[in-house]
Amino acid sequence: MSLTLPYSRSRRYLTGIDWFISALAHQSTRRNNRVACYSQTVLDVDGALSETAIRGTLDQISDRFRVIHGRIARDWLNLAPFWKMTPPPKDAVIPLRVVDLPEEREDHAEVLFSEHAAVPFDSPSRHLRFLLVRIGQRRSRLGMVFDHSLLDAFGAEMFFWLIDEAFKGHLGEISRRVRQTESAHLDHWMRRFRSGRTINRLLIRLGKQDTIALTIPRAGTIRRLRVLQESLSREESIRLRQWAGEEIGVPLLLPSAAARAILAMRRVFSGTFLPGSQFLVFTSANLRAPGQQWESLFFNHFSLLPLTLAVEPTTGVKEMAIVLRNQFFERMKDKIPWAMQDATMLGRIVPLWIASRLLRLVAKGRGCSFYFACIRDTGFSPESFMGLPTRQLVHQPLVFTPPGLNICMTEFRGTFNLVISYLEGVVDDSSAAQLMAAFKSLLLEPQCEPASR
Amino acid sequence: MANAITLESIQKQLCSEIASMLSMPSGSITPDTDLPALGISSLTFVSLLLFIEQNFGVNLMQVGLKIDDTKSPRRLAAAIQAGRAA
Repeated sequence: MSLTLPYSRSRRYLTGIDWFISALAHQSTRRNNRVACYSQTVLDVDGALSETAIRGTLDQISDRFRVIHGRIARDWLNLAPFWKMTPPPKDAVIPLRVVDLPEEREDHAEVLFSEHAAVPFDSPSRHLRFLLVRIGQRRSRLGMVFDHSLLDAFGAEMFFWLIDEAFKGHLGEISRRVRQTESAHLDHWMRRFRSGRTINRLLIRLGKQDTIALTIPRAGTIRRLRVLQESLSREESIRLRQWAGEEIGVPLLLPSAAARAILAMRRVFSGTFLPGSQFLVFTSANLRAPGQQWESLFFNHFSLLPLTLAVEPTTGVKEMAIVLRNQFFERMKDKIPWAMQDATMLGRIVPLWIASRLLRLVAKGRGCSFYFACIRDTGFSPESFMGLPTRQLVHQPLVFTPPGLNICMTEFRGTFNLVISYLEGVVDDSSAAQLMAAFKSLLLEPQCEPASR
Repeated sequence: MANAITLESIQKQLCSEIASMLSMPSGSITPDTDLPALGISSLTFVSLLLFIEQNFGVNLMQVGLKIDDTKSPRRLAAAIQAGRAA
């Protein structure tokens, strides 16, 4: 039964970060000929997931959360963009494709997931799509492609938890906690202007030195999105966590890992970079309040944090990690992630096509050297999913263009996953494989350990 | 005057702040709580370092914080005390 929603419940005003991400995605899809439009999260379980059970659960979720079928619109009174929620049509379903692969064709699953993330949604009201790949009766992989307008990476992981809870019959209880509306936040203008000034000054400062970056070819020559993925063993993950803490004196992995990603980039691409004097890396910071995971399931609740590093051939990796640690601390002290949240609120009145053009000004059009995420507080880590033991959950992030490359580390139940997403045409397969090998070996390299430093 | 803050007082403030940051009931964090086991996010940890700098006047990273100092509020308090004395 379709009922019209009351005015206040039919719209969810977008935050500045929601709008900023939409603008980045808009710019990217134009630059990369729409080969990389979305992020994907893939869950691996032991055994064969039931197609009927997944379809039934997705239908329940689809009926319960109208936000899933929303689309971006603009309030012409206050000019703020909002998520328009209308009752979904009767045939509105969350698409699920099922592929059964024989054991010997297991490797083909990666190709299927890459293709799954590359196909644009068929309607402005469609933001989620699932692909279930079953490898015999032994293993299943469930991939969810999602529009960053609706979910961020943490929210996507929570969505798998939502499916599991719905399967267990707990949907009613959880849906009462999930927030689907948001006010327009037409207040605190002075604070937002001050934040805008802070971010503007930071971007000008970052742009003063040339950013080392990959060459982005013409849209037509960018062929497709590729994803490389490797997992560290439990023992390797424990060792990594331990020495990274010892290296910089604080229990943060991001500075040590980002330093090694930069070093790996320098080793693999040193002859092919656009010349510059510093690496500029955008990292993300999850701004959800502890205990508010369900409340902030939908939309974007993170912010971006830029880190820069001028790399001399003689710079040791420990020194690089400490420079990044201090910079991370200083940027947090200056409340940059929150200032970014506030400042982007000011930009919401700008139409997407103008916003995406303004973004081209960042780092003189180069954007950044690459995006780097180190996500340790995962949204979903139970030992079972729909009654089957979970093996792995991997996030394959959206690749913004520029820079056309994203390096991501996630942790699932104590083990780390390394994911390199790239655009074929910006990075070739062989260089991406070298980058993964260099990054992994630097993360595990003995001379990085305190005993042999 | 700065030295008037006792170790116990630092521990108490740290426990209270960590509980507040993690939205846990006050009193749930003790000086010997295993902080790594709480799964504190990097953002929360950096916020804790900022709290320490603002309230005790010590930038722990500049005075050579070691990873072992971050294992419990008791050890963290000792590092703060040492940093204040330096």
